[in-house]
Amino acid sequence: MAGVSRRTVPELVTLTVSSLVLALVIVLLVLQIAAGNDPARPVVTVGAIVERGEGGFHVPVSVRNRGDRAAASVQVTASLTTGATTVEADQVVDFLGVDETEELVFVFGSDPAAGELAVAVAGFADP
Amino acid sequence: MTTGAAAATAARSACQPAGGQWSREVTDLARATTGALLFGIPLLYTMEVWWAGVRATPPQALVILALALVAVVVLNHTSGFRRTRDVRLADAVADGVEVVGLCLVLATVLLFLLGELTLDTPRSVALGKIAYETLPLSIGAAVAAQFLRESRDGDPGEEASDDDAEPRDASSATLNDLGATVIGAVFIAMNIAPTDEIPMLDSAMGAPRVLALLVASLLVSYAIVFVAGFSGQSRRHNQQGPLQHPLTETIVCYLVSLVVAGALLWMFNRTEGPWSVSLSHIVVLGLPAAVGGAAGRIAI
Repeated sequence: MAGVSRRTVPELVTLTVSSLVLALVIVLLVLQIAAGNDPARPVVTVGAIVERGEGGFHVPVSVRNRGDRAAASVQVTASLTTGATTVEADQVVDFLGVDETEELVFVFGSDPAAGELAVAVAGFADP
Repeated sequence: MTTGAAAATAARSACQPAGGQWSREVTDLARATTGALLFGIPLLYTMEVWWAGVRATPPQALVILALALVAVVVLNHTSGFRRTRDVRLADAVADGVEVVGLCLVLATVLLFLLGELTLDTPRSVALGKIAYETLPLSIGAAVAAQFLRESRDGDPGEEASDDDAEPRDASSATLNDLGATVIGAVFIAMNIAPTDEIPMLDSAMGAPRVLALLVASLLVSYAIVFVAGFSGQSRRHNQQGPLQHPLTETIVCYLVSLVVAGALLWMFNRTEGPWSVSLSHIVVLGLPAAVGGAAGRIAI
C-alpha cells in the first residue's frame, strides 16, 4: 500500500470524501434490499374536487406504489353514480416505481358531490 | 517497483508547497469532470437511461456501481484523469474510488439541475437514476487524460511545447476560438437537439432550474478551458485579443453555443412554440453545446 501512503494531503482528502459518498450510496442500497421484497401495492387517494365551469368537475387522484417492487400498466378506474346513471372512466399509468406517486385528473360532467364516486386500482402488471 | 512506477509515484508525491498540491488536485478533479461530461452528457439527456434507473432494483444498482468501479480501475491503469499514470494497483483503486465518488456527486447535481431528481423523488428511484448515470460519467472521467492531447509528467512535452508557442495573432485567435466553439457545440449538441428529451426536461425544470443550468454551463465551460489543465491552457491565459480574457471568452463562447443550440433546434422544428419556451429549450441544450464548444476550443 505504499502507493496509497504517498498520496498528497489533497488527494487523501478527496479520497476520503469520495469513499464516504460511495459508502453512503452502498449503505442506502443495502438498506433497500434489506427492507423487503413485497409485491407492488398501488393505492389511490382522491383529492379535493374542483369545478372548472364548462370544463366540468375535476377530480384529482394520486396513485402511489407502497410496495417494495415496481408496477407497470397500473389501471385506475373512476365511476360516478348519480341516480340511475353511472359514468365510468379509466386511466393507465405506464410505470410506477417503488414509493413513486403519479397525479391523475378525472373529469366528470356532473358534480361528484351530488352522487357516489368510486376510485380504485383495477390492476397492474409486474414489469 | 518498475522505474516508471517509481517516477510516477515520485512525481505525485514530490515536495510541493501545500497550495500547489491543492491547486494540482483541483486541476485533476476539473479534468476528471471534463472527461465525465464529454463522454456522459449524451446519456444524461437520454430518457431511456432515466427509465432504466427508475426500473432498476437495488441489487441491479449495486451491480452497476460495481461495474463502474471495475471499469474505472482498469482504465486508470492505461489512462486515468491525473497527470501521472497509475502504475500500481493500489493507486488505480484509490483513484477509481475518487472517480466513482466524484461522478456520483456530479450525476446527482446534474439530475437535480435537469429536474430529473427533486426533493420528492422516492429514494429507490433516485438511487437507480444516479447509479445509471454514474457509469458513463465514470468511464469518461477515467479516460480524461487521453482527451484533447493532454500530456503527462515525464512524457515528451507536447503540452510544454504548446504552451511555449508564440501567442497567435489576436484577431485570428479570436476567429479560431469562435469557429472551434461552433464546431465543438455542433459535434455534441446535434446528437441531442432532434430528440424529445429537450422539451421533456424543460417542461419539468421551471425557470429557477433553467437559470441554475445557465450558470452551471458557464462554470463548466470556464473550468474545461482554463482550469482542467488541458493542452495550451497557459497560452490561453496569456492570449491577446478583444475576446481573449478568460471571463470574456467564456461568456462570448457560451453565447455562441446558445446560438448553435438555437439553430439546431430550429433545424429540427423545435422552436415552433412561444419564444419564452424556445429560449428555455435553448438554455437546456446550451449545457451540452457549451461543453462541446469548450472542448472544441482546446482541440482545434
